[in-house]
Amino acid sequence: MLTRELAIASFENGELVPDRLNRKTDAAYLGFAEAMLAIYRSGIGRTRRLLHQAVYRVFDEQLDCPGRRIQAFCKLLDDAAEYSKGDRKKIVQLRRSVFRAAAEQHPLVVERDALFESQESEVKRRIAEDLGMSWPELRGMLFSDLIENHELKCFHGFPDGAALLSRYNVAQTQAVLFDAIKITVRATGDFKQILRYAKLARLMHRITRRSDHYRFEFDGPASVLRGTHRYGVAMAKFLPGLLSCRGWSMEAVLRPRSFRQRIRFRLDDGCKLVSGIEADSVFDSSVEEAFAMAWGEQPRDGWRLERETEILHVGQTAFFPDFVFVNEDGRRAMLEIVGFWTPEYLIAKFQVLKQFRDEPVFLAIAQSLKEKVVIPCEHPAIYYKGAIDVVAVLEMLNGR
Amino acid sequence: MNHQPSKAAKILNQAKLDFCDGTLVLDQWSSQAITRIFGEGIWTWDGRSNAWRCDPIHYPNIRKVLGSNSYGTLDRVPQWQPIVWSDIQLPEPRAEQTDAVNAWSAVRRGVVVMPTGTGKTEVALRIMADQACSTLIVAPIRDLMYQWHKRILKGLGYDAGIIGDNTYNVKPVSVTTFDSACIHMPKLGNRFQLLIFDECHHLPGPIRSDAARMSIAPMRLGLTATLERGDGQHAKLDELIGPLVYRLEINQVRGASLAEFDVFRVPVFLSERERVRYDQLSEVVSSYVYERRQEDSHFTWKTLCAETQSSGEAGIILRAYREKKSIEDRAVEKLRVLEDLFRLHKGTPMIIFAGSNAMARDVSCRFLIPCLLNHCGKAERVDYLDGLRDGVYPAIVANQVLDEGVDLPEVKIAVVIGGMASTRQAKQRLGRILRRRGDERAILYEVVAKDTNETGRSRQRRKSDAYAGTRNRKF
Repeated sequence: MLTRELAIASFENGELVPDRLNRKTDAAYLGFAEAMLAIYRSGIGRTRRLLHQAVYRVFDEQLDCPGRRIQAFCKLLDDAAEYSKGDRKKIVQLRRSVFRAAAEQHPLVVERDALFESQESEVKRRIAEDLGMSWPELRGMLFSDLIENHELKCFHGFPDGAALLSRYNVAQTQAVLFDAIKITVRATGDFKQILRYAKLARLMHRITRRSDHYRFEFDGPASVLRGTHRYGVAMAKFLPGLLSCRGWSMEAVLRPRSFRQRIRFRLDDGCKLVSGIEADSVFDSSVEEAFAMAWGEQPRDGWRLERETEILHVGQTAFFPDFVFVNEDGRRAMLEIVGFWTPEYLIAKFQVLKQFRDEPVFLAIAQSLKEKVVIPCEHPAIYYKGAIDVVAVLEMLNGR
Repeated sequence: MNHQPSKAAKILNQAKLDFCDGTLVLDQWSSQAITRIFGEGIWTWDGRSNAWRCDPIHYPNIRKVLGSNSYGTLDRVPQWQPIVWSDIQLPEPRAEQTDAVNAWSAVRRGVVVMPTGTGKTEVALRIMADQACSTLIVAPIRDLMYQWHKRILKGLGYDAGIIGDNTYNVKPVSVTTFDSACIHMPKLGNRFQLLIFDECHHLPGPIRSDAARMSIAPMRLGLTATLERGDGQHAKLDELIGPLVYRLEINQVRGASLAEFDVFRVPVFLSERERVRYDQLSEVVSSYVYERRQEDSHFTWKTLCAETQSSGEAGIILRAYREKKSIEDRAVEKLRVLEDLFRLHKGTPMIIFAGSNAMARDVSCRFLIPCLLNHCGKAERVDYLDGLRDGVYPAIVANQVLDEGVDLPEVKIAVVIGGMASTRQAKQRLGRILRRRGDERAILYEVVAKDTNETGRSRQRRKSDAYAGTRNRKF
């Protein structure tokens, strides 16, 4: 991620627009990106300062490229690199012995006279000699533990220039969110993933059902007390996950330091930002996929099958049944498939289910689990071996 | 026979007050009960978790309202413990230190203002010794954090926990930095009964002040040499720490606990090459600013800085300005003057303050004296500071790292060869050299590039009362 100081954004029509390099209008940047990658790929053993200087030189002729953008590239490249920190202890020791040796000669003067006879270059030459090197060599080593003097050890960065530019665009968008006090996501799909990424980023949620979508508001514990951008970094961390989902639009409320009023930032799944996180496959398991195939598109006995269109939630606990059945007469029922999982996972799952004991949820539990663990379940259940029987599910639905 | 379940059920249905991620959470209370008992303004309903929430800073109030019967609410918040100091070794306090301790102890919440060098740390240690409770000391930077650690070990015989500098070792008495306190307070807010903010003028600020707001500590002590902030934010300290309980002015202590001091200004001239480049750059910057002002009378330097993110030209101007500053800062002539000062005061320990890391390293490489920078580890820092005190090193050069409160060995000669103009920084720097030591006077040299902006900054600095009576000296 970038730091706040490297963020570039402009203010257009009351909204904040993060810096973004476009394939068409900024076509030249593809070449710059390749050049920067070449610098890092062939730069093993060079210091951070030299690598950054080389990156700056790529943009020498680009008067309209702001310095921050170059710094941001350096940061992203460094994030994908490993530097050797040098033998810090040895260098500290070296400095110590040099300063101690010079202390007796203090002050080092340019021209010696009767009172002060420690001539600068003479003393330096002697101290370096005692350490078995020349003064220029010694000077080069004296502060080699500083961050800018660290040497590149390896670079496992980006496959090509386009990937670096994608990363840059996402990073600038993330940086905008550092100042966010709240994010609202309107979602028509991928609810489970969106909430999971929010939870991974340690955000709290508020869920509201609307006629054709869900509305998620994300912020942190203290957000109900005051508008705080304390959780902005968490929101930035959430963004790549969100970008991998489908069927959403989001609006963030920002309060940048330099602005008095709050401003908005909007984004949706058509933004073409690529986060590098793989989208989850539609089905968690082959059992689900097989069941959906077996059921088919058409209603059975008036029941139509829908995928994850419902969220059950109490406080900060949310539950997403695998399938929702909607009857022509308006009745709804939910099916959760409990497959082969670890005992800890199962205990957690049943704890969650307990909170929704009044909801029309029924379970399909793998036969092998029934033999292994006691299932403390208050919901009606059927058991399956290999595949879930469509007829058994229909019986369950009609029996209700 | 079913006592157990009913007891469990009772606890389950009992209202609970918890510390949770940097907030206080109260469940089961109806909104009528909240308004009747607590009134408006403390609790906010949080529909996300179906409970009431508030900032932990309200805890002492809440405790007072709940009183001894607690209205059936189970308070699971404080994780404090009494401290037994194994070995208290504090020096006999001076009169003003006793006054400060007494003033604070009367209310146990508030800010003590004392100039650097008058023993703010002793005041805090004395208060810690008296209160003997879970205490967190929050310092601006890690150097100071380590310094507190050392002082607590020496004065109270306690090996305090360290939170910060890639360490997370929480003990009932711990030291940390402002940044780490802000980051970790959601986990630490209920662990400490006494908070001490060193150089507390750093505390206000929307996120940083969470370090105070997210703690339940009923006792709070703020220490600073300069309460006033340019942005007027210091008023917030009243809410976050407490009222001003004691103030000692720098004039009151001159010649008493602090040594008398003289300030000498040493002007240096830029070399021919530096002057040519400097004037060139000045021309670039001022003609650009002039043109922009013609178009837009509100154009300021701030506008320019904001523009650098979108415009390359603004960036070039800013780079020119920075190069100008760097010429002032690193003028070769300054090194020559420094040589003269070293000759003049040979045998007397000296501290040089540079305006930048680069200049500090220039000085270090020129004279081969230790260079104290942010990146120095604890051991290296200690070696340099102790070494200067014990006469192992004749002088050290430092950048802003020593600006505030870092305990320095007693030196009476300091040289400022670059830096900022703010009054606070000037006061803090003065505090570095004004250590009491018999009747000897201290000297502060200011080496400034002549006919540059530096001269202006030095003049501004002298407006501060501490600089009254500056004299020029020619070399």
